[in-house]
Amino acid sequence: MKTIEEVDQYVVKDIRDLNESTYVLRFNRGIMEFKPGQHVNIGINEKGEHREYSIYSGTHGDYVEVLIKEVDDGLVSRRLRKLKPGDQLSIRGPFGFFLADAKPASNERLLFVASGTGIAPFHSFMRTFPEADYRLIHGIRNIDEAYDKDHYKESRYFSCTSRGNRGDYNGRLTDYLLEAEEEKAEKVYLCGNSSMIYDAMDILRAQGYRHDQIFTEVYF
Amino acid sequence: MQVLRKVSLKTLGCRLNQYETDALVTSFHKAGYEIAGSEDQADVTVINTCTVTNQSDQKSRHTINHAAAKNKNGLVVVTGCMADNYKEKLEQQEQITYVVENDRKSQIVSLVDSHFAGEITHPDKLDRDRFGFDAVQKSFHTRTSIKIQDGCDNFCTFCIIPSVRGRAISRPVNDVLENVKSVLDNGFKEIVITGVNIGRYEHEGIHFEQLLEKILEVPGDFRVRISSLEPDGFGDDFHKLFAHPKLTPHLHLCLQSGSENILLKMRRMYSVQHFRETIERFRSAIPDFNFTTDIIVGFPGETEEDFKHTLDFAREARFSHIHTFRYSKRTGTRAERMPVQVPGPVMARRSEKIRLLSERSRMEYFESMHGKEQRVLIEKVDENGIASGYGENYIPVKFKTGNREKNRFEQVAIESMVAGEDTYLFATII
Repeated sequence: MKTIEEVDQYVVKDIRDLNESTYVLRFNRGIMEFKPGQHVNIGINEKGEHREYSIYSGTHGDYVEVLIKEVDDGLVSRRLRKLKPGDQLSIRGPFGFFLADAKPASNERLLFVASGTGIAPFHSFMRTFPEADYRLIHGIRNIDEAYDKDHYKESRYFSCTSRGNRGDYNGRLTDYLLEAEEEKAEKVYLCGNSSMIYDAMDILRAQGYRHDQIFTEVYF
Repeated sequence: MQVLRKVSLKTLGCRLNQYETDALVTSFHKAGYEIAGSEDQADVTVINTCTVTNQSDQKSRHTINHAAAKNKNGLVVVTGCMADNYKEKLEQQEQITYVVENDRKSQIVSLVDSHFAGEITHPDKLDRDRFGFDAVQKSFHTRTSIKIQDGCDNFCTFCIIPSVRGRAISRPVNDVLENVKSVLDNGFKEIVITGVNIGRYEHEGIHFEQLLEKILEVPGDFRVRISSLEPDGFGDDFHKLFAHPKLTPHLHLCLQSGSENILLKMRRMYSVQHFRETIERFRSAIPDFNFTTDIIVGFPGETEEDFKHTLDFAREARFSHIHTFRYSKRTGTRAERMPVQVPGPVMARRSEKIRLLSERSRMEYFESMHGKEQRVLIEKVDENGIASGYGENYIPVKFKTGNREKNRFEQVAIESMVAGEDTYLFATII
């Protein structure tokens, strides 16, 4: 049986590399309750620097995963990657409201638009609600950033690669949104860098989406 | 005759802090302390600090130093957001007797009582209770706040408040309603609904708008104001609640920027278009609805074009007052690490432009009220029989009266605007 102190202690369970710069950090869930779309603040120790990372895993497991891209000169992302199973983490949260309005049981069609690691909340959502009616458009540079694309049903995941020619669409995500005739969704969720979100919002509004159908989460 | 101990309380920052100080004044008063005037020596000085900007830090430090120097033998108790943000540093200062974090603020009277009884208690041993304040007594102001919520989970990239006020927590509905009834019994005629992010109120399935409806149903001749509100904190039907005669037609709705690009970087949860449609919805129902707002200038990466969007939108929105902040880098926030920090002189210039716009908009709004009726809650009546107070639209009004009683409502018609340092509207009783 756990002691009271152990309930709030988080330790690394696994680090899984996805490509040269990106990895999935898994830690024990403890008593954490979270919803898809929320994020946690992670540090090596309580007093040190913490960084925000969206939760990548679904809500059913006894662990929590986050998707992390190493930042050049980053104080946290590079150090986290060097941790070993059993090493302690400082976790704050979960926080946030992104995807709070996504209702998988109401047969709403959802359009998810992500750039880079902005795919994390949608991965969490898909793991939690595998039967939800969604379509995920993922903007990346190269195909090696199509993180865990095999986890999604083929018809639901669509990559746009700005470099190389191995994406489902070879070009920028925003160009795809302009050119494509995606089936209209009830709600659209955008997650990634602010330039992509800013441009995508303009395109979606021009396509007739109302502001209250569009939800955003900015990554920096 | 027993000489009462004197306590002095100083407040910096937001309306929530002001409310918590008012409640502490009540608690000290009930516990037998005398409330010291601003120039009096005091046995205890409580400084309720703010840390929202660098300037707030400076003001808080100055107030602490001044109070400690003035009352060398008195207790100095530092609380508020600065106490949370710089706890260890403040605890090292000899001039400060106690540093009390926000969630133990309501217990300060028992801490001070214990001290004078010879029991030295570390503030960390006090109970955490963010809603454990006394209902404010009538004698201090004509309006009082009702705290319904504390903390914030929004984590806007510029904001230190989630770190110092903690996770969002909502006060139970019945506690709120009991507090409302208590302050009405104490004679207040106007209550202000307050908290850190009140639109996120949620307790056992009751959300902000539902709570507001319950407050409006409380019997009595009083009116309700809403303090600062985030644009994502209510639904599309919120404006319909303002048909209720007790709910005043004014909102301080925080814009922060009129640039969609900057709003995204601030991680605000609304767009300019959403804000625009909200204002339009309200004004289509209540044409003279009064909106005031906060704007931050000089957020990292804010270009001249971004700022122009803000100016243009602020002009379009016709805010009667804009509280302008120059962006202030706060340690631990996401914006701290953003590149392209805007130089101080650029921020100063933008701030001045917003201030001028705010003044002009205020005049225009006041002029638009000419000939309209207002129900004024009288705050004071001077020796010439001129009463002053605020109308329901949160506009300052003065009028001649033969009745010197304050804290009562009077229906007036606006006749003219008197411009000056404190511009106000002159009216006559109907």
